[in-house]
Amino acid sequence: MNARYWLALRRKPGMFPALLALWGLLALPPVRYWLEASMTRHMIVQMPLLVAIGSALAHSLSRQQRCRIVAAAGGPLALLTLASFASTYWMMPRALDLAVASGAADAVKFVTLPLLVGLPLALAWRPLGVLGRGFVWTNLISMLVFIGWLYIAAPLRVCNSYLVDDQARAGWWMVYAAAGIFATWLGALFVGKPPATVDTPCAAGYPAI
Amino acid sequence: MADYNYVAPQEHATKGGVLAYLLTTAAVLLLMMLFGLVMRAEQAQLISIGANAFYQLMTLHGAGMVGIAGIAGAAIMWHFLGQYVRLSTTVLYANLALFLVGVAMAIGAVFIGNFHGAWTFLFPLPGNSMGLWSNEAAATFLAGMLVLGTGFLLFQLDIARALIATYGGLGRALGWPQLFGHDDGKAPPPTVVASAMVTVVNIVALVVGASILAMMLVNLYYPEFAIDPLLAKGMIYFFGHVFINATIYMAVIAVYEILPRYTHRPWKANKIFLLSWNCSTLMVMFIFPHHLLMDFAFPKWMLVMGHVIGYLNTFPILIVTGYGALILVYRSGIVWDMASRLLAVSMLGWAAGAMPAFIDGTIRVNYIMHNTLWVPGHFHTYLLLGMVAMVFGFMYYVTKPAAQHKDALIDRLAYWAYVVGSFGFALAFLYAGKESVARRYAEHLPAWVPYDRIGTAFATLVVGAALVFVGRFIARLAHARSAHLRAPAPLGVAA
Repeated sequence: MNARYWLALRRKPGMFPALLALWGLLALPPVRYWLEASMTRHMIVQMPLLVAIGSALAHSLSRQQRCRIVAAAGGPLALLTLASFASTYWMMPRALDLAVASGAADAVKFVTLPLLVGLPLALAWRPLGVLGRGFVWTNLISMLVFIGWLYIAAPLRVCNSYLVDDQARAGWWMVYAAAGIFATWLGALFVGKPPATVDTPCAAGYPAI
Repeated sequence: MADYNYVAPQEHATKGGVLAYLLTTAAVLLLMMLFGLVMRAEQAQLISIGANAFYQLMTLHGAGMVGIAGIAGAAIMWHFLGQYVRLSTTVLYANLALFLVGVAMAIGAVFIGNFHGAWTFLFPLPGNSMGLWSNEAAATFLAGMLVLGTGFLLFQLDIARALIATYGGLGRALGWPQLFGHDDGKAPPPTVVASAMVTVVNIVALVVGASILAMMLVNLYYPEFAIDPLLAKGMIYFFGHVFINATIYMAVIAVYEILPRYTHRPWKANKIFLLSWNCSTLMVMFIFPHHLLMDFAFPKWMLVMGHVIGYLNTFPILIVTGYGALILVYRSGIVWDMASRLLAVSMLGWAAGAMPAFIDGTIRVNYIMHNTLWVPGHFHTYLLLGMVAMVFGFMYYVTKPAAQHKDALIDRLAYWAYVVGSFGFALAFLYAGKESVARRYAEHLPAWVPYDRIGTAFATLVVGAALVFVGRFIARLAHARSAHLRAPAPLGVAA
């Protein structure tokens, strides 16, 4: 693992208040209503930001805390499975409708997306290795294209809260997002220097994030 | 500057996983060749299996050949790349297991479900069988392709992981520091460069393939979720064309690794070599529209791109590799045996096979030639005499009992039967194409039958030769497990 990587993942104690502030900002009624008024903003901006907050939260934990959580959860695959199931729920149109119609459901979304998707994904990320991460990325990219197409091609509204044109717009943004993620991820595989130092794994054998 | 003195590489025993791949290749390849022979005999009106069975065989022959070319290429790449980077045996076996599951699903869909919508599964055919097959049969075939693709994606991701672990990034594995900077002679070996190229293009192709397969699966059951047929065709051809192209780029690693052992001349990745592979990394992904030139509704820029890149991509790797092989062999004192012969003829087959595609890639020619037997003539030359010859050469090499071992008369006869048979078989396709014989027709007009009969005779010769190759491979399998010297020293050079 090169030194640059550790620098990027060094514990940042000041991060937690900043994350909390961002989370609070997203939860503010005017911001929340504005983001949730459009399917595109709801799915492509608000929800990924909530996942990113959870993911950043993982980096505000100490290395020992991260190792303990990964071991307690049963390893990176268990965490990945948890993140997959939780994110699958929030991909369902009915879940989106509920989040818009009910404050309680929206609150659940604000808690589960960071804690059950972003955090476990970030904790599982590094131990997954290039192969596992590559599989997650490629699966995400192909599924984003697939779901984007579903939203574009659907002959009816999949969510009661949003109009068909908004739905199609969200679909196109998913396709654009997939293309952007693909280009960024593939591009990142091209850069880097030969590894000079050896990574120190967790006591359980999992590489720490 | 690179050091051009030859340093003999260490010989390695062939891993069990690679042998499992090669055994699968031998079995599936023979079966696919038999299917091909039966189809040609049907068109030649020598047998009568009926149109339904013809299209079933055509579907399996196409899907099976693309899949097994991938498996055979993967075996060669894994065997040699494993000498430079640490690869995962678990992923190697996982890919084979998923391949076998995918093949079983495709065979079930065809023989039990009667699916015969061709390996290209072009939308909307799978869902519009007019009662000839069920949605379940089409779904099983499409899902089989998805399973097969998932295995290859895992395989390629593992190659990417191993390359990044050793070289730091795919850019370095493609020799970017030497290509764009000072050539310090430390460029990655050709095997690594080729593997990096194949990894990049295959990952992109497989992700696109997975997307369109998932879309078509939904459309089968919910047709109201419509797919733009042009988009579907573009995505399918992108996936299929890149994947089958990549198989020869994997198999050519056998040429890069084995010919230097026979000639005692190193094959170095110099700037021209790196430039050609890097250019092809991009061009292979943009060449597929040369199969869509008849689809006038496609955006004009795509068709122009297919035309121009179709011309350009014919040359870089082919010339660098073909010319490199000639330079390597010229006055080297090479001792010809089955492995070196098959690898040398594969260069000829690759070059000869690319030419009909080059001609067909011209828009004016394409309007007339593309739906004729000219196109099967192209890819059969390219695959039979190019890619498959590399695979048979590799099989002979890894199972060779000793460096000085002499080939039996039957092997030498089989070699000539294979070369003559393959050329004759491909030329029968090409000539029929020139005479405007339509492709993908089960039943042929009486005027077309003579070409079919000539093709069938040559196909019989090819199958006979392949039986000898496969028989020899299986009989000598035990020799693959030891790390002994296999290539004889060139004449005049001390062993």
